[in-house]
Amino acid sequence: MPVVYRKPTERPSPELLPFKKQGVLADLEVAQEVENTTLNPRYRCHQCHRLLPTAHLLDLHIEEQHDVYFEAAKERGDKPMYSCYIEECPDKFRTVVERKDHCISAHKFPNNYRFDQEKRKQKEADGMEVDVDVQVTNVKAFTFSNSKQRTFNTRGVKDPLSNVQTIKDALDEIE
Amino acid sequence: MEPTSQPPTKMDDTFLRHKIREYAKQQRHNLRTNANDALRFGLGQIKQEICELENLSVKDVQGMAGRIKRRKHATTEDMYRFSHAFLQGNENINAFAATPGAIQVIVKELTGPNEMRRMEAADCLCNLSLGEAHVCEKITTLAGSYLVTFLHSQESRLVRSCLWTLANILFSCNKSAKNLLQMQLVTKLWKLYTAPTDDVHAYQVDAGVCLYLIAAQVASAVSSEDRLYIAEHLQEKQATDPAADYYMFIVYQFEVVNMELEGHWQHLYNFFVAERKFDLVKPTDRLSLLYGVRVWANILAMNVKIKIEHQPFISTLNKLFGLRDEGLNKELLQLLRNFIELSSVNCVQILERIQVFA
Repeated sequence: MPVVYRKPTERPSPELLPFKKQGVLADLEVAQEVENTTLNPRYRCHQCHRLLPTAHLLDLHIEEQHDVYFEAAKERGDKPMYSCYIEECPDKFRTVVERKDHCISAHKFPNNYRFDQEKRKQKEADGMEVDVDVQVTNVKAFTFSNSKQRTFNTRGVKDPLSNVQTIKDALDEIE
Repeated sequence: MEPTSQPPTKMDDTFLRHKIREYAKQQRHNLRTNANDALRFGLGQIKQEICELENLSVKDVQGMAGRIKRRKHATTEDMYRFSHAFLQGNENINAFAATPGAIQVIVKELTGPNEMRRMEAADCLCNLSLGEAHVCEKITTLAGSYLVTFLHSQESRLVRSCLWTLANILFSCNKSAKNLLQMQLVTKLWKLYTAPTDDVHAYQVDAGVCLYLIAAQVASAVSSEDRLYIAEHLQEKQATDPAADYYMFIVYQFEVVNMELEGHWQHLYNFFVAERKFDLVKPTDRLSLLYGVRVWANILAMNVKIKIEHQPFISTLNKLFGLRDEGLNKELLQLLRNFIELSSVNCVQILERIQVFA
């Protein structure tokens, strides 16, 4: 009998564990009760309340959507910043498009991966245009009379009516 | 019952739920499993187990599939009915899979924000995966990435359904299995397989079954990175952990032993000689012992330098020879042959104490 290093084979013999395919029919109300009593943490973004299925996807979401440092580093563009959606994959990418292509070609992801961060951004960009608040600059106060006292000067005072003392002083001056 | 395209009434459904609940309660009581467990059925088995069940025909399935497609949404009731229909027979599965856009609706529910519907969609896909290879291929293409992603979820019921679905797919279709491997399934499964046990997140057995199926059917398609990951993390599984019976088979099929890493041979030796029960009652016992011996024969054939303590090694070999199993004895003799060739060990002393039974 010689010394032998045995190589593995596909469909090894003898087949030791005959596997039988099985389905499931559960009363999920019971399962849900059990889930609720175990106090599972849910992966929800505190800032935008988006719910994600795994800790890794939530990390990516927070980093890419709400992290100022990430935004700055991305704009500087000196290194790839976007991590793969698969936690175990070490690859990083410069753009979301690169990452998407990688996920489709290397990991066989669907084109419309639902936990895609960029997709949501795009959706927001496609939305109806909304007027943004326009900063009104201070307009010089004027009056139609020749009075020396022109008017109340509101410069530098955010909301004059909110300060009771200011109103009192102003009334005293008029009297 | 005459087949109709209309879904059966709410009354019937309540009765079915009640019946399933009673049956589950009884089974939990019998098996002393915890409340998190679900009923598992093979294709068509449900008809024999619960004879009061109504029959859902191909027309019913087509009607329901058309409806969810139109609405682009499946309710809890819809998915429960689909789960039930798929369990009844392959013709229902094929009818659903042939309806364009129907699986996409279930996938939409699987990835939606509603936790309950997510679990129901996962169960629905699990039962759909009872179908033939072409159905499993469709599931992999449309939902494979999500099934793999949800393995990291905190919802234990969802993780378990995903593992069951993946096991069905891995068994049915090699092409799908290879696609799933590209989604880093092996490392994810290994993490679950070696995770510490607790009451809720106990996936070791289900993950072990999936790894077993990969090792048995598509081991050659496992990437070198995945094999290296397993070799580096071999120490995370101990002989006394749940589902440890699959361990040596996975190690053997993935050819982990010929990777030169710090300490992994020593761990395999410790795993092999660990104090445990040696018997051949269950099929998994045989799997564990046979491939344990084979892995050890391979390590010895490589003539690596490891510390073999005589006493536990002899004791293990004697216990294994004592089982008097023909197939196992053949493997043990090969192991002894490889052992004799080892230059670093004084084997005469050991061979004298080994008892081989005829």
